[in-house]
Amino acid sequence: MRREIRFRLNGEAVSAQVAPHETLVELLQEGFGLYGARESCGQGLCGCCTVLVDGRAVSGCLYLASLVEDSDVRTIEDGGELDAVQQAFIEASGFQCGFCTPGFVLMTRQLLDEIPDPSEDDIKHYLSGNLCRCGAYPEIIAAVKLAARKRKGV
Amino acid sequence: MKRATQSTETPQVGRSVPRLESWLKVTGRAEYVHNLRLPGMLYGKIFRSSVAHGRIKRIDVSAARALGGVHSVMTGEDVRRLVPDPYYGPAFHDQPVLALDKVRYVGEPVAVVLASDPHVAEEATHLIVAEYEALPAVYDEVAAMTSKAIVHDVLKPAGTFPDLKHFKGRTDTNVALDFHLRRGDAKKALAGAHRVFEHRFRTQQVMHTPLEPLVSVAESTETSLTLHTASQSPSFVRSEVARLLGWPENRVRVRVPYMGGGFGAKLYIKLEALVAVLSLLTRRAVKISLTMEEQFFTITKHASTFRIKSGVSADGRIVARECEVWWNGGAYADIGPRITQKSGFTAPGPYDIDNVLIDSYALYTNLPPAGALRGFGIPQLVWAYESHTDMMARALGIDPVEFRRRNLLRDGRPQATGTVMRDAAIEKVLERVAVLLDWKNPFDRGSGALRRGRGIAVGFKACVSPTTSLAAVNVNADGSCIVYCSTTDMGQGSDTAMAQIAGEVLNMAAESVTVVHSDTDVTPYDMATLGSRSLFHMGNAVKLAAEDAKKKLDQLRNELGLPADAEIPDIFKRKYGMQAGNVVGTGSYVPTYKSPDENGLTDSATPFWMVGGTGVELEVDTETGRVRITRLVNVADVGTPINPRIVETQLSGASIMQLGFTLHEKMQFDADGQLRNASLAEYKIPGLLDIPQEIVNEAVVAEQKTGPFGAKGVGETGTFSVSPAIANAIEDAVGVRLTSLPMTPEAVFMQLQESK
Amino acid sequence: MLMMKAGVLRPARLVSLRKLNLDSISNGKDGVLVVGAMTTLRELERSAAVKEGWPVITRALRTLSNVRVRNVATVGGALAHADPHMDLPPLLSALGARATIAGPQGERSAPIESLYAGYLENTLRRGELITHIEIPPLGKRRAAYLKCTTRSADDWPALGMAVVLDGGEARIWVSAATDKPTRLLAAEKILKGQITDEKALRQAGAAAAEEVHIESDLHGSADYKKQLIRVYLARAVHEARNAVH
Repeated sequence: MRREIRFRLNGEAVSAQVAPHETLVELLQEGFGLYGARESCGQGLCGCCTVLVDGRAVSGCLYLASLVEDSDVRTIEDGGELDAVQQAFIEASGFQCGFCTPGFVLMTRQLLDEIPDPSEDDIKHYLSGNLCRCGAYPEIIAAVKLAARKRKGV
Repeated sequence: MKRATQSTETPQVGRSVPRLESWLKVTGRAEYVHNLRLPGMLYGKIFRSSVAHGRIKRIDVSAARALGGVHSVMTGEDVRRLVPDPYYGPAFHDQPVLALDKVRYVGEPVAVVLASDPHVAEEATHLIVAEYEALPAVYDEVAAMTSKAIVHDVLKPAGTFPDLKHFKGRTDTNVALDFHLRRGDAKKALAGAHRVFEHRFRTQQVMHTPLEPLVSVAESTETSLTLHTASQSPSFVRSEVARLLGWPENRVRVRVPYMGGGFGAKLYIKLEALVAVLSLLTRRAVKISLTMEEQFFTITKHASTFRIKSGVSADGRIVARECEVWWNGGAYADIGPRITQKSGFTAPGPYDIDNVLIDSYALYTNLPPAGALRGFGIPQLVWAYESHTDMMARALGIDPVEFRRRNLLRDGRPQATGTVMRDAAIEKVLERVAVLLDWKNPFDRGSGALRRGRGIAVGFKACVSPTTSLAAVNVNADGSCIVYCSTTDMGQGSDTAMAQIAGEVLNMAAESVTVVHSDTDVTPYDMATLGSRSLFHMGNAVKLAAEDAKKKLDQLRNELGLPADAEIPDIFKRKYGMQAGNVVGTGSYVPTYKSPDENGLTDSATPFWMVGGTGVELEVDTETGRVRITRLVNVADVGTPINPRIVETQLSGASIMQLGFTLHEKMQFDADGQLRNASLAEYKIPGLLDIPQEIVNEAVVAEQKTGPFGAKGVGETGTFSVSPAIANAIEDAVGVRLTSLPMTPEAVFMQLQESK
Repeated sequence: MLMMKAGVLRPARLVSLRKLNLDSISNGKDGVLVVGAMTTLRELERSAAVKEGWPVITRALRTLSNVRVRNVATVGGALAHADPHMDLPPLLSALGARATIAGPQGERSAPIESLYAGYLENTLRRGELITHIEIPPLGKRRAAYLKCTTRSADDWPALGMAVVLDGGEARIWVSAATDKPTRLLAAEKILKGQITDEKALRQAGAAAAEEVHIESDLHGSADYKKQLIRVYLARAVHEARNAVH
């Protein structure tokens, strides 16, 4: 029951054979060796599996792989140099164990694309679907604010 | 990232070096066992018990075995073919690799399906049928003391700990350790006290929920076994798996890359024995990754009941204290008996009390096993004694801070065990919390439905002892440095701290030092990464190893007639005629320790004391019972911080974790021991919207004289005092006292109703 | 998807509805907003038309699950799921919205509240699909939706309460604490012409707590959830009265 789909993955045209029940995280891990999106809660609540599909963040553990056909898929592995968000997470100590970090970075990118100068309330609401059991939340909020300043070149 | 070797005079300790693995973590490239796939690997999915206590009558795996794509299905009997006595555990050899003869809690592993496709393996688990003869079950820790339901027919202590030896062969009991301490004469002092107070407190069963769920991979040959595992205790895994197999330790290799959180969940044996046996039985690599749901059936934090009784003199001095603590260990002892004793002896709190009586009991029940969770039992104890302290102060009409001041355990005074306090800044911590809360000035108490209050609590912990750490520091011919140690970095920043310590000794930038991750074929022995012990024990070992390397380099300079400031590459060039060779320094550290006597007394109970105080300002919605923390102040004695920034984030993160355990997290069981909320959808952990408006974290100026560069552990400290500080603040705000965790809005509201 | 992952549903076939062109938000007659059932919650949240005309929906969506879920979840799915912990059913019921349902017998229109029979039980017949929802203009009405969680802030609600004020009258719907969106008729009656009267609000809250059937669950006991209804009724009415749009 596998069928071939074509899509763009981190800027490259790719194809894959997918089963109907296969999730995007499984496809990325098994098909492409990309482990930055990872399943944790399995219910779309923790954000560890965040992937950008056509510029929108989705929970890769709940997103059927076959739905990315003809889409543009971006993962944390996309790009070479660290961007402002990643730099800010390092400078503001926005992580401890790092398991949730790719999800926070991707969500922050999307947040800053939509709201370049977010308030603390904006940040908390936008990222409320990302969990960090190490409790690095205060540092994450600081990292998002710092990333916003960096993006504006301040 | 560029990792040039730099010789530097800049101090490396006391500097907030960003984590060495920062780039790896923000780019999603950090190595976790979660990512590992090996050629020909089979995935295992676990079939679990549906009853809390029962004799296994029949396990029918035929339909599962017949499903297309299934490689095999294994039960406890298959395990027994390879390992005749397949029971493991750090304190008792009580836990079977897969259930044998009996099941002891709902969710206990009973069988495993192996397949190349994890979906097929999962599907097949639904085809397994097991029949049990139900046995009476016990869930409550106090009831377990006298219950007719007996979880284990015969007790089998592991033999490692002297105070467990006398349990060997015991029957008809659920007590897995009883620890007793007698100092002075508590009964007599209570009888003569001006006032006597007695209270009872409860804590609930909760789970660590590391976001990287437990995961282990095994690969094997005829004569060797390699485990890739998310484990905080690789050295223990090696020796315990070797013991089960009857192999020498050099045939078992345990590797641990980064871990996505641990918090005590990934200690001792979890999945390792199971994947090891499965790999040896199938001659294939085997991986088992638990789901978030399955973690709840693997390891949890002890629920507890604490009866505390104090006698106070007319001038507000605590003259006697009786503590009776029951720890709900679940179906397997794990490290529970150690918690019962090692934390049990601090049950009277950081107070100077001449007459103390402690009875602390580890109990087996038919619930998922409980072990260590960020505090090793201390948050449960502090919850009780700091609530009790506040209740007494209020009843006596003494300011809660002043009451603590009068009774505080000061340096130079003996703790309950008789061990004299050293380098424990209890007073400083209390005073800083009071200053940061502006305690002496009036406070806005709110109005209408919103009432405000504030509270303080101070707790302490004795680091578990005796434990051993070894390290090696390798200086290469180009002058670069590698640290070998088995401390595992699960997010606490140990790699960075160890690099800083080695860098400080060798005058190298910490950023240029490489820390090799635990690999028991490569890195030396370490007891485990637990109980905030690593920075102190492994830090001392790394420091000794670096000093040894430095001494060897100095000797070489001397032998080769080089000046004392000769650069390292020049030493090797002179010695070997080219860039070749290396110098390895070694260090081992084990602190002095004396076992308690028959009264629980010893003059050397711990290598260091950790002190954590919390101040809270909060708001209670009297119509709904909802508590909103507006300000959270964490103050700690961490000695002299090696990395101030990481120390701050550890305090903050620990306090946020404890907020969840305080306000809403709870494993909810029904009357048959079935867990009703085994998922993050129904077991809610704190998110961004739950954190206090303001969090202040501070390490007081202090020094642990025996620690590396004056430092000591911090991983757990932020958890100690959060819960009682909140309960104290709630009483301050609305005049009601909660004695059971969690303090949900409903619990607060119902208490308000009752008080009307 | 969650139920499929948990093995509760084991479908033999999965049918994608993505190419049905049901994902637009448009203006219908008489100021009615027509929302295609395949519109994502995020599109609804970010729609300028919704924000302008029905800001209560925009506000409610902000705390509905999380951005990633809203990026994918559809309006039709959120309604058809019939989980009482969903925020849209009580709110859209209070707003007087209707669903257009297509089936083998053609199209029919039904009030949102009529979609629900009980816990996770909808009234759609075999072969039927929600294709659109129609939301009448708010006009001079004032609306509020309050969600109360009892565990973490990002939890599903223990109580969801929607209030729409039309002159002196209130339309009040509750869900989450009840097994389906439920109108609080007794409370509405007490409040008729008295929505600014604190005593009437207290009485209405008490009446509301008595008129609905509530079960204890992991979010709280029935008694406690009744208290939440008592308190949140007045709070939601206050919020609606002060709503600006």
